[in-house]
This record gives sequence, C-alpha cells and structure tokens, in this order.
Amino acid sequence: MAQYIADRRDVDFVLHEQLRTADLAQSERFADFNRKTIDLVVAEVRNLAVKEILPTQKDGDRIGARFDAGRVTVPESFHKAWRALREGGWIAMTEDPEWGGQGMPHALAMAATDYLNGANFAFMMYAGLTHGAGKLIERFGTPEQKRMFLKNMFTGRWTGTMLLTEPEAGSDVGALTTSAVRRPDGTYRLTGNKIFISSGEHDLAENIIHPVLARIEGAPAGTAGISLFLVPKIWVNPDGSLGEPNDIVCTGIEEKMGIHGNATCAMALGSRGACRGLLLGEENKGMRTMFLMMNEARLLVGSQGLACASTAYLYAVNYARERIQGRHLLKAQDKAAPSVPIIQHPDVRRMLITMKAYVEGMRSLLYYVGRLEDLKTLTPDEERRKAYQGMIDFLIPIAKAYVTERACEVCNLGIQVYGGYGYIREYPMEQLLRDCRITPIYEGTNGIQAMDLLGRKLGLNGGKPMMDLLSEIQRTLALARRQPRTAPLAAPLEQALGKLGEVAMHLGAAALSEKVLVAFAYAHPFLTVCGDVLLAWMLLWRAALAAEKLAAGARDKEALFYEGQIQSARWFLANELPVSLGRMQAILAADPAAVEAAEESFGGR
Amino acid sequence: MNILVCVKRVPDTAENEIEVRPDGTDIRREDLVYSVNEWDNYAVEEAIQIAERTGGTVTVATVGDADAEEVVRREMAMGAQQGLMLTDPAFEGSDGRGIAEILKAAVQRGRYDLVLCGAQADDGAGQVGGMLAALLDWPYASLVNRIEVLEGQRLRIGREIEGGNQEMSEIELPCVLSIQTGINEPRYVGIRGIRKVASVEIPALGASELGLDPSRVGRAACRVRKLDYFVPPAGAGAEILQGSPEEIAARLVDLLKAKGGLK
Repeated sequence: MAQYIADRRDVDFVLHEQLRTADLAQSERFADFNRKTIDLVVAEVRNLAVKEILPTQKDGDRIGARFDAGRVTVPESFHKAWRALREGGWIAMTEDPEWGGQGMPHALAMAATDYLNGANFAFMMYAGLTHGAGKLIERFGTPEQKRMFLKNMFTGRWTGTMLLTEPEAGSDVGALTTSAVRRPDGTYRLTGNKIFISSGEHDLAENIIHPVLARIEGAPAGTAGISLFLVPKIWVNPDGSLGEPNDIVCTGIEEKMGIHGNATCAMALGSRGACRGLLLGEENKGMRTMFLMMNEARLLVGSQGLACASTAYLYAVNYARERIQGRHLLKAQDKAAPSVPIIQHPDVRRMLITMKAYVEGMRSLLYYVGRLEDLKTLTPDEERRKAYQGMIDFLIPIAKAYVTERACEVCNLGIQVYGGYGYIREYPMEQLLRDCRITPIYEGTNGIQAMDLLGRKLGLNGGKPMMDLLSEIQRTLALARRQPRTAPLAAPLEQALGKLGEVAMHLGAAALSEKVLVAFAYAHPFLTVCGDVLLAWMLLWRAALAAEKLAAGARDKEALFYEGQIQSARWFLANELPVSLGRMQAILAADPAAVEAAEESFGGR
Repeated sequence: MNILVCVKRVPDTAENEIEVRPDGTDIRREDLVYSVNEWDNYAVEEAIQIAERTGGTVTVATVGDADAEEVVRREMAMGAQQGLMLTDPAFEGSDGRGIAEILKAAVQRGRYDLVLCGAQADDGAGQVGGMLAALLDWPYASLVNRIEVLEGQRLRIGREIEGGNQEMSEIELPCVLSIQTGINEPRYVGIRGIRKVASVEIPALGASELGLDPSRVGRAACRVRKLDYFVPPAGAGAEILQGSPEEIAARLVDLLKAKGGLK
C-alpha cells in the first residue's frame, strides 16, 4: 500500500534499530516514552499529518495567505488543522510539561516533525516559530514573563515569530536600525521596520508575540549593541489578560516562489509612536540570546528539507510503479511486448535509488542530532555533556545546509521521474521543489552555514567535536566489518574518512593564514564533503544493522526492507563517494580563480 | 452514564494489500499493519461525547491476545477512562456467538448503562452486537448514526435506512447499539493523551475471572466454521480496459456507441 510523507518502516528502523530511542525510557525524565508509547506517537502523528494536514497543502499553495488592509488571513482549512495540532499538544513536543510542553525525547520529536512538515511545512511554520519564540522566553524570560506568555504559546493559543531582518540588515544582522527607548515604566518604545517576517500576521490565533531585535538608544554599533524585546500584537497585562492593540502592523506580504501558505510579512513598529515592548534577557545581549536558539531553528529547516525530499521520493516511487510507458529494455525490439511500469527502466531506477539513499541518510543524520540532544540532556557528566554539545554544534550547519541542498536535488529528481507531469501543477511535484527552495536560503543561507562550519565549528575546542564524530564513525566501520555482506563497504568509507581528515587540517590551517579568502571560497565544498561522508556513515551503519538482521533470518517483507538498506549503502559508496573524493582533491588543490578574478572579469557590465 | 465500547484490532485496509492464503484458510497475516476497527473508533468517539455531556465513564474492552492491548491503549489515549483486556487461550478461534458470550460476561461484571459496538469489523459479519444484546436480553438497534440522551433512562436514536432515509426511534436503557461510521468525527489522538496512558496497567481478564465455562467459547464451541476463502474467478462478458486514460476513454466511448448506450 502506498506510503505518504515518510515511510513508516524506515522511520521505525531509525528510531528503534539504529538509535534505540526506547532505551531513553530507562531514565526518569523520559520514563513515559517506552517502545509502545513511541510507536503510538508515530502512528498518531502520521494519522494527523496524512488525514488532516496533508489535505491543506494544496490550499496553502493555491489560496495562500492573503493580505488586506493590515490583516492577513490563511486558507480556511488551516484553522481546523491548527485546532487539531493544538489539541494534540504537537506544538511544544520536547518542552517542559510545566509550561504546556510534552517532555518528549528530541529523536522522537524529529520523527513527528518529519510527518508534520512533510504534510505542509508552510503551515507548520506557524507552529515552529511559536515554539522557537517560546523557547526564548523559557530560557531568558523573567518568571513574570514566563507566566504571562509561555503556556499560551506552547499550547498554540497565541503564536510567535522572530523579527530580525530589515531592508538593509539581512545576513548582516548587526546593521539593523530598529531603535528602542526606555520608558519610565520600564517598558521600551520601539521604532523601525522589519521585513521577511514569517508568520508575522495571520488569523489563526488571538495574539502574536514578536521577539524583536533592536538597538537601545546610545548602545554600541554592530552586534554588540543589539537587545531583544518582546512585542505583543495585543498588549498583555501582567495578570495575563489582553490589553489594547499594540502599535505593530503588517504593511504587506511577499509574493514568493513557494510556501504561499505562510505569510511573509513586512512589519512597521511604532508608526504612531506607540509600539511597546518588554526587554527579554539583558541589554545588548540580544545577539547572544538569539544564537543560543539558532541550533534548533537550523535543525528545523533541515527537517523541512528532509520532509520535502521524503515526500517527493514516495510520490515518485509510487508513480514509477503505476506509470506504464515503454517496453522493457530487454524486449525493446519485440513489437508485441507489453509496456511496463517505468520502475523497470534502468535510468528511472538510477533516479529512485539516488533519492532513496539521500532520504534515508538524511533522516538518520537529523534524528541522530536529536539523539545527541537527548544524550546531552541525560548525562550527569559535564565532560560528556560538553562533548555532545560539541558534536551537535559541528553537525548543525551540515544538517541545515547539506540536507536542504540535497533535498532540493531530490525534489528535482522527483519531477524528472514524473516527466512532463512533474512540471505541471495538477501533480504534487513542482510545489515540493518550489517550497523546498527556500530552505537553503533562510535561517542563515547555506553560504553562511559553510562559513560557520569552517570558521567556528571546525576549530571548536581544539577540533574535538570532529574528532569525536570520527571515532563514532570508527565504531560503525567495526560493526560493518563483522558482517560479510557489509565488510567490503567499510574500506571506501575509511578511505574517504582519512582524506576528509587531511582536507580539514589543510583547509583549517589555510583559513588562519594569508590564504583565508581562498579557504573560504572552499568553505561550501568543504561542508559538502563533510555531508557526503556523514551520509555514507549513516548508510553504512544502517546496512550493517540490516546485514545482522538478514543473517539472523529476517524473511519476506522484512528481508526486502533490509536488502534495500544494503543496496542504498552500496549505491552511495560506489557512486557518490568517488565524486566526493574528487571534490576533496579540489579543496586540497585550492585553485584561487574564484577570489583572484577581478570584479570586471565576471563580465555582465 | 457508564458506557462500555467493544473494540477489535483489525488489519488496516488503508495500509495493507489483503491477500488470501493459498490454502484458503485465512488471509495472509505476515507483515500486516493492524489498527483499531474503524467503526469501533466512531463508537468510542460517540461514547466520549456522551460522557462529556452527561457525565459518567467510558470503558473500552477487547477480546484478543496481548497484541490487541495497543488498540485499547490507543482508544484510552483518545479519551476513554478505562480499558479491559479479555484474553485467554481458551477464547481463541471463537465464532461470533463465542465473542458475544465473552463480552456478555464482561458487561455483567460491570455496571453499564449502554454498550456500543461498531456496526461491523474486518470479517464483515456484523453479528456480535446483536448477539450480545440477545444474550443479555437487552434492547438492540443496529447501524445507529445519531444518539440523543433523553430523560428517564431512554435514548432517541437515528438509523440510516434504505435510500438515505432516516428512521428515528426511542430505546430503553440499558441497551446495545451498533454504530455506523459518519455518526461523528473521531478526534485525533495527541501526545497529551498518549502520555496520560503511557504507564497505565490495563486489567486482563480470562475465562475464570469472567466466570465463563470454557466449553461455551473458543474453537471447539464454534457452531459456524469457515470452510474456504477465495477470489472469485473473472466472469464471462467482463472486459478490463487497459491503456492510458485517453485510450481507455476513447475505447469506452466506442463500446458505448457499439452497444447502443450512446447515440
């Protein structure tokens, strides 16, 4: 039977066989989340996603968010889906139950997010931003602020946003000009204009809480003078009741390539001189506060990419089984031979196995980051905690940039599998690519992620996070070598691993030398090869576990699933890793053409 | 009002290709994905709504093995307060009457004003609700698509009858009703509900706890025996059109013209 969004067997495989998520239930914190509970959560989130949210995906795209005189409305079908999302407690899955969260392990929440985002991630952004804004308040808010806002946000009664970008302050947030002046009552008066504000205005909730980055008058220039404020759409009184509408309005929404269901707003603060905000955290520490939340936001964007890719793959493979076109290649000359489903054509298979391997590898990678969060939460050992955090920090730019870029390629292949039908709006494929295309851009462009990896993460704690990951990979190599089916696959990964170490040393040193510009021109290729090796690791890990199960006598459908795991790893190691080795060679050679070319040599004038 | 809802764990037809085993004794059950019978889910939702309006409790019971516990837990996560597993090796292979005997014993152990069943389950027999009512000597209505609670231990119930017409009746409590899909819109199960039931122990009762004579239930007590399952052979005169949608449409038009359906 056709699977939608994410293959349930594959999700279960990662959660249970690869990451052993149910083991977390031995801890007091996650005691509720035993195997039965995990299975029930996955079954029910899938049910909600497929039955209630997936049907809103086309509405989101065709009707979209609509702007009229300062008000934004979302498609009617979003309202019912929003109620179901709220009632089920899906907005703050991992948060503290004290504040309306559900205390779920992150690894499991990644699986739930997989389904929810795959159903309609433009819709889920209303929830994702609410959760992110709530996390800021949970982490940095005063007890009074938590009481005033948190529960209403984590339960979706109110929603949240994040107001960073201004017309002249995009990737360079430090250039922002929104200002704040302290008033005698301790609140602040804000003035400025923000753009590209996802979920900035809509009719899903009675109030919207906007965390806003602004500069207090007289504060230093650049990022060191930025503070964070809470600006409610409707003022919230200290007792939690609603007051007067605040002076923050949506002045328009963008017409975009995709994610039409999510309102991307221009917001004017204080156009009547009466926009009030509360300081969140300390003065001038706004950027640091924001940074602490960025890991989670970037992981979420990676998950959006994966969800598009996974959905595209399942549509494509199901279509390829049904679409009958052309004779089998071995009977091409036989005019009487029947046409066959296109899944029997070798080139279609090439596309499908490419998509499958990437989707599986990316799923494992993202859930693994969730797993590290859980292990970090549970460990009583400060050194271990730091080690987990280091690995997470290292993996985040890859989980964001590598995954979103490959996800776009998977969606692109999905269109190709559909042929002409992939290009027309009646079929779901073109929307997936349009929606997915934002993910390499927002929440820090992929170029910014690559600079983060090379400039900050590679040298973090003297390079320990990368070393820690390399030793984790060694464990998988040992596991793979114990099984005759996967033993031959260990060598290519080991070779790539050695080469990657060399590349990292070389590029890390170059980034600190006079060759810094050339080094950063190779930051993105470096992120790409790191991603390739991590994916090869995840796929080999899966294959080794599958080989164990096959050796233990798995049969029928189970055996076919496990065989598929071994094929994915084989295919990736044989086809993608050699390309990656070539790219590593290019990084080591570090040709400076990109930085040496004179601006005029780029032509175009 | 205290309500007992009888539920069954069945192969999920949205998730599985159902195939008959070559020996004709059953469907192939390896690798099947199971879930709660869809009709039963409507019955549980209806029970929860009635309890929300009038007070009282909802208990979900199933006859099955240890695997069936997952559907009871699921329906509890949906909002039923109690669960009940009716499980015993002696129950295996029971026919519809045997299942009704087991349920009757469970009903008599509790104090229920109302028993709801799904109109039918995976085997399509639609027999357990009626048999249970007869064994209890309670009034029964089938295919119920509307329930209103009246004063004085009565319900007003609606049944959809032939041609989309509606029949309304009054029925005395306690009674058994079999519930039609579409009576309500079953709620989704959220994490909040799942967490609530994560570590709840669901009581399991066997033949002795239920005071059941094992000879009245199980395979040996069956008075209906299934002999064979098979897919009927294709009949003569049927033609399956093949090709692209355009080709099929063109062929269909030709056929309709040739047979006089289109002029």
